[in-house]
Amino acid sequence: MSWFGFGFNAFGQICVQEKSVQEETSDAVGEVKVSVPVELRSHVDHSCCLKTCQIRASWSRRACLHESRCVWLAGFSASSISNDTRGCRDAIISESHLTLAFPDRIESWDVQRKDKTPLWSMEIIPQSESSGIWIFECTEHQKITTNMLLHVFCHFHTGVNLPLVPGGYIASKPPIFRSLAPHLQAKSLALGGDHVILLTAPGAVYSWGLGSHGQLGHGGLVSEEEPRTVEALWGVPMSSVAAGGWHSVCISEGGDLYVWGWNESGQLGLPSRGLQKAPQQKKAQPTELSDVSTPEEEPHDGDKHEEVFISIQAFPALLDVNPSSDFQRASCGSRHTAAVTTSGCLFTWGWGEYGQLGHQTFNSLDEPRRVEFFKAKDLHVVDVVCGPWNTFTAAVKKGVLDLKNT
Amino acid sequence: MESLWSKLSAALPINEEQFPLQFSDKVESSVVEMLTRSRHQLYSTTRSNNQTLYAQVVLDISWERLNTGTWRDVDKDWRRLYSYGCLFKVAALCRESPSEHEILQAVRTCDMGLLMGAAVMDNILQVFVRILQSEIRKTTKEETDYVEAKRMKIVVPRVPPIKEELAVERIKCPSLESFNTKYLVPLKPVILEGIIDHWPALNNRPWSLEYLRSVAGCRTVPVEVGSRYTDEDWSQTLLTINEFIDKYILEKVQDSQSGERAVGYLAQHQLFDQIPELKEDIRIPDYCCLGEGDEDDITVNAWFGPTGTVSPLHQDPQQNFLAQVVGSKYVRLYSPEDTDKLYPHQSQLLHNTSQVEVENPDSERFPKFVRAPYLECVLQPGDVLFIPVKHWHYVRSLDVSFSVSFWWS
Repeated sequence: MSWFGFGFNAFGQICVQEKSVQEETSDAVGEVKVSVPVELRSHVDHSCCLKTCQIRASWSRRACLHESRCVWLAGFSASSISNDTRGCRDAIISESHLTLAFPDRIESWDVQRKDKTPLWSMEIIPQSESSGIWIFECTEHQKITTNMLLHVFCHFHTGVNLPLVPGGYIASKPPIFRSLAPHLQAKSLALGGDHVILLTAPGAVYSWGLGSHGQLGHGGLVSEEEPRTVEALWGVPMSSVAAGGWHSVCISEGGDLYVWGWNESGQLGLPSRGLQKAPQQKKAQPTELSDVSTPEEEPHDGDKHEEVFISIQAFPALLDVNPSSDFQRASCGSRHTAAVTTSGCLFTWGWGEYGQLGHQTFNSLDEPRRVEFFKAKDLHVVDVVCGPWNTFTAAVKKGVLDLKNT
Repeated sequence: MESLWSKLSAALPINEEQFPLQFSDKVESSVVEMLTRSRHQLYSTTRSNNQTLYAQVVLDISWERLNTGTWRDVDKDWRRLYSYGCLFKVAALCRESPSEHEILQAVRTCDMGLLMGAAVMDNILQVFVRILQSEIRKTTKEETDYVEAKRMKIVVPRVPPIKEELAVERIKCPSLESFNTKYLVPLKPVILEGIIDHWPALNNRPWSLEYLRSVAGCRTVPVEVGSRYTDEDWSQTLLTINEFIDKYILEKVQDSQSGERAVGYLAQHQLFDQIPELKEDIRIPDYCCLGEGDEDDITVNAWFGPTGTVSPLHQDPQQNFLAQVVGSKYVRLYSPEDTDKLYPHQSQLLHNTSQVEVENPDSERFPKFVRAPYLECVLQPGDVLFIPVKHWHYVRSLDVSFSVSFWWS
């Protein structure tokens, strides 16, 4: 399995050019924006990345989780971060924090400071594997005198599923630990720019946080402090969730993709006013103020001139993808979305300014398009993880997959 | 002959070391790194396409931060960051003999920084835009035969007749004491006549479409599109003043969908902070000194639009002097005592706005409205209407209109 990356690369988080090449080329645009997918290599050991089982990305960095249970960082001042990560099962990275999950503890480090101890940590002491009761201590770096002992019932699972941790989840800004009520039966959690999407064991979706751009999916622009069910999805069991800067995505057990939130760059895959119709022309995105339009009306049949643009989709919408596909995984960047089908195709849409859509252009798209690079190289895409402005995909050679299946 | 770039760089610190880049801890070091690279590019002698690229990165990351959370809570440092991004972008655009299009883009970039950013380096974007504007004036031919009058549709406005018993009182140049005693203290609306006759805008530099184009035609401003801000299809967009005049005042462009001309309104915008040249044409009314606040606390807004702009019935938390400079407006006033007959919206966002369409009230939904007493008037150029704090007011423009409002306490 190989990992590929494309999109924002100003800190070398996807690839680093050789020094001599840098000096020769006056036009170093390829360095900052990577529009053609590039196979990832470790700076330390060029073969290392073949054993990468998961990738996490922040705006300026990439973290590789290796089969050997350690974490490698690439990108902005990555070399100055020298944590001992042996035994690490999972990690998440934000612009300011690196959180590592070990079998016996979880640690959150401030990546901007060179502290000797983590900013926050939590011990995990499994009482009894069969009864599924966890007791743990939680201490915050700043709170010298306070120790909290929490007794929590939760489902026993062998792997940690960051940002979910026993009793709650790890947020991207302080307070680092946020508790979650056990009755929610949290299965996986996605952190958006200012909102949170939760998937529960029975397949229900909850959301909370900032609602100003419809990213909570409750039908309005109201923010929520506590988890609230996304009622529009009730009755359809979901299997995965993802959250971007101002939008949210989930996939049903049947492989359907639902989207909601802000569509200013086409990140919902719905018609977006800001984008030019002709794919050759690229319109400058960031300076337009967005408008709020009501999303209920469907375009009139046969009347192509009356196109309805959707700026904010406040209720989940089922996304029509052409050709029709079953999705198994999705990930969201700041303003773009990437999704993998069960047949191994990668679709991307939304903001493309930095090449993060992988279509070898810098155009943004308001409808899902297959990334031909992988099909052309006979690669079967199995996973996708988005950083805010880039995309990382895991793929295997089709031949290898067939062998495994026989 | 000094090049544009030499004029712009004269406004910048002489070298990299003197160029300040100070931010709070909230701005991550990776972002500061991008700025540092941009600054290095600025003073570097080697050519590189990265200058535009790094500036764009700074603009993109700060734009995202500006759109995170609520505008009120946005850390000032992110707005400063955005301004730095604009600075570097302007430098990249103007470095090598820029075309007219590039100079206009640079002006727009300065405006974006002035509108969304926060002043940096002694408000350098303001300095830049002045240099850029003088460059544009040199290169653009003066169209002296700009016959605006011919292109404007002659619209006969629905001028409502003002009933004498309901008319707002008028008084000419009252003394401070007289105004205070008769109107400010009792919170009574009045039209002050003759108090802005000395404004250059009404005198030696009379405001007109041609004048506004010449002073600020290429400047980008926020425009409200839609009949009224309570409508579902109301939105905001950014246009240059030239585009705004062409599209919404001169009706050169039709709204293709409905066939009807969409209403565009340059409303509630602190235009005079953005374009100091226009600030020179107006004065703060002396009567504002009767308030408790400082002159710096007075909010001055521009209201510039075509016939038919409507501000729905609403109230503001400060005293208001509404000065009419160009064109005329119909204004209706309701006392705060009669709020119970005015059916304000329940929502937090619109609780200071009435649900009633003043000139077409739904008497079934709002039966008490028709019994609410009111005062009304037509404001002509030179009039200044005193709207006491919390007094409900409804405004409709009767022709192309430019008003200036002063909110004071």
